[in-house]
Amino acid sequence: MAAAPGDAPGEPPPAAAAGLESRQRLHPLSPLLNGAKSIVVIIAALSWQTYGQLGAAHFAIVVAVLAVGVVIFSAVGWWNTGYHVVGRELRIAEGLVWRRNRAIPLDRLQAVELRRPLLAQLTGLAELRLEVVGGGKTEAPLAYLTVREAAILRERLLALSGRTPAPHPGATTADPAAHAAAPPAEAPLYRVRNQDLLISQLLTPQALFLPVGIAWVSTQFLMEGSWTFIGIASTVTAMAGVLLQPIRRVLQDWNFRAAHDQDRRLVLHYGLLETRNQVVPLHRVQTVRVIWPLLWRRKRWLNLRLDIAGYSGPEPGDDKSSDRLMPVGDIGTARALVAAVLPGVDLATLATSPPPARARWLHPFALRFHGAGLTPDVFVSRWGRVTRELSMVPYARLQSVRVVQGPLQRRLGLATVYADTAGGRAGIARDRDLAEAWALAEQLAVRARQARGLTTAPPATGPATPPPVPVASASPPAPVPPGAVAPGAIAPAGWYPPSGPGAPDDEAYWQRPSPS
Amino acid sequence: MSEPSRTVVDALEPWPDTVAWRPVSPKLIIVELIGLGAWIAFLVAGLSVGWVIGGQSWWPIAIAAVVLLGVWRAVIEARAVGAWGYAERDKDLLVRHGLLVRHLSIVPYARMQYVDVTAGPLERAFGLATVQLHTAAAASDARIPGLPPDEASRLRDRLTALGEDRAEGL
Repeated sequence: MAAAPGDAPGEPPPAAAAGLESRQRLHPLSPLLNGAKSIVVIIAALSWQTYGQLGAAHFAIVVAVLAVGVVIFSAVGWWNTGYHVVGRELRIAEGLVWRRNRAIPLDRLQAVELRRPLLAQLTGLAELRLEVVGGGKTEAPLAYLTVREAAILRERLLALSGRTPAPHPGATTADPAAHAAAPPAEAPLYRVRNQDLLISQLLTPQALFLPVGIAWVSTQFLMEGSWTFIGIASTVTAMAGVLLQPIRRVLQDWNFRAAHDQDRRLVLHYGLLETRNQVVPLHRVQTVRVIWPLLWRRKRWLNLRLDIAGYSGPEPGDDKSSDRLMPVGDIGTARALVAAVLPGVDLATLATSPPPARARWLHPFALRFHGAGLTPDVFVSRWGRVTRELSMVPYARLQSVRVVQGPLQRRLGLATVYADTAGGRAGIARDRDLAEAWALAEQLAVRARQARGLTTAPPATGPATPPPVPVASASPPAPVPPGAVAPGAIAPAGWYPPSGPGAPDDEAYWQRPSPS
Repeated sequence: MSEPSRTVVDALEPWPDTVAWRPVSPKLIIVELIGLGAWIAFLVAGLSVGWVIGGQSWWPIAIAAVVLLGVWRAVIEARAVGAWGYAERDKDLLVRHGLLVRHLSIVPYARMQYVDVTAGPLERAFGLATVQLHTAAAASDARIPGLPPDEASRLRDRLTALGEDRAEGL
């Protein structure tokens, strides 16, 4: 069906696809919505100057002509865009002049996000964004579908993306409508209090400097008496870029909710003007980071972030990326959430050991906030004096392990161990004793192998199973070395020596060598 | 229960009992030196032109400094080639390199996404190739330069075979 003009080239042979499903279009309103965005851009580009030259009537005509042009252009694009699911692939065809057919293998799907910008909310539409590894940006945003369609498609894609072939083989054809007819039951995990969110964003450097900035700018103007429009506009825009970040964050994280769906995937809802609804299978979580900003410390608040392979690397302005797990909350909430995302991990019992005392030469102030530790499920590392951070990398997600030793470290007999993940961030054990670094690297490699073996061997269990626990040592936890853990929000409840089959038998690596 | 500090002597020699490191071809030294020499010659030529035109007395000092730097780099690079090494273990590939900043990478075969074999014109002239193993983590750093072509293709085939054996998603 949908014999779009010029359908033939590059299209997969119909015999392969026809038996399964026909190509589907996006929602007919999408060109209007896409056009609306462009119209704003056009108006901005035309600027006040043109308005002054043309007069209101002509200006309106110009805008209207351009708007119609844009909408026609988007409509042509819409007519030639289609998607369909073939086997375990999502195929998206688009373009009139440059045709592009893209096949997305669903077993590589990392997360699916349903975004609804303001206009889409008004019209009951949604944009479906798929995160795939290797894409520098979000691949294949399907904009727009009706919310119902998008939800059905998402369920179906996620079902297909599971490690097992879809539980009901009929799902590839027409079944999913029934599946999605009943809204998926969600077990709520956490919900941010909007009041806390507001306060937490007031407690950011930008918000605190806002009055200072305003005062400075106004005195500047009062002193010089130069109230030119350009001057004010440029100052305001310059300040807005930085200072409005807290406001943007409040808008984005408004009404943040986390839940488990019936397949124990993580579901996140948030946003005020643009709502986002993100579904992340738990086995796609690459790293969980805990951040204690300086200004939140009195409130005992912290912040959880989630790294998923599709969302490319560390971005400077991380407003766009969807990596939040908890915008603000206390340690109890964080514990519960971490336990839900990384089953078997208790945030309050993550023991880390500090680097040897001689690393003080490299970190004169922050040494006691550095640490690394191997727990049964995750590799923990922590750092930071002012903003304290802690990252947890599940062993099963490790891509590679690196040991790096710089010239200064060599003089001191230290080395840094990196545990790389596909999320772009690594768990980093900084400045460990060299022998300990080797042992740590070896342990990480061994544990990653075991964890992988356990996750891949029983393919039927799916994401619901707790991540593998390398058979925990039967020996009682050894006493915590004095001063092993920074007196931060986390109290050590146990000290895990390296354990499990294949572990080197010398636990001496973990008893800190006496400073020589 | 061994004493940790005794088992590890050198940052480039972890686990000396269990890992047999293989060196890269010493011909890599020549390739590196030619590359370095080209750069030094280029810089010296530029500075000489400056000297001829400008004629101040500090030009020759700069030239001497560049030459000295080149000699120093040459010594370093010649030694650094000796620091490159790789080892194939059962489940993972080890690569080490660097003298000033020492790196060791442990990359499991199961995590391999693809393997690159590259050879620039200079490398080809000396019968060398570079094998690079890519994982989904951009930071993974498993590049082995200076392999003879047959060793490079053997390694590539072995890596791909092992990677297929243990293939999986992320």
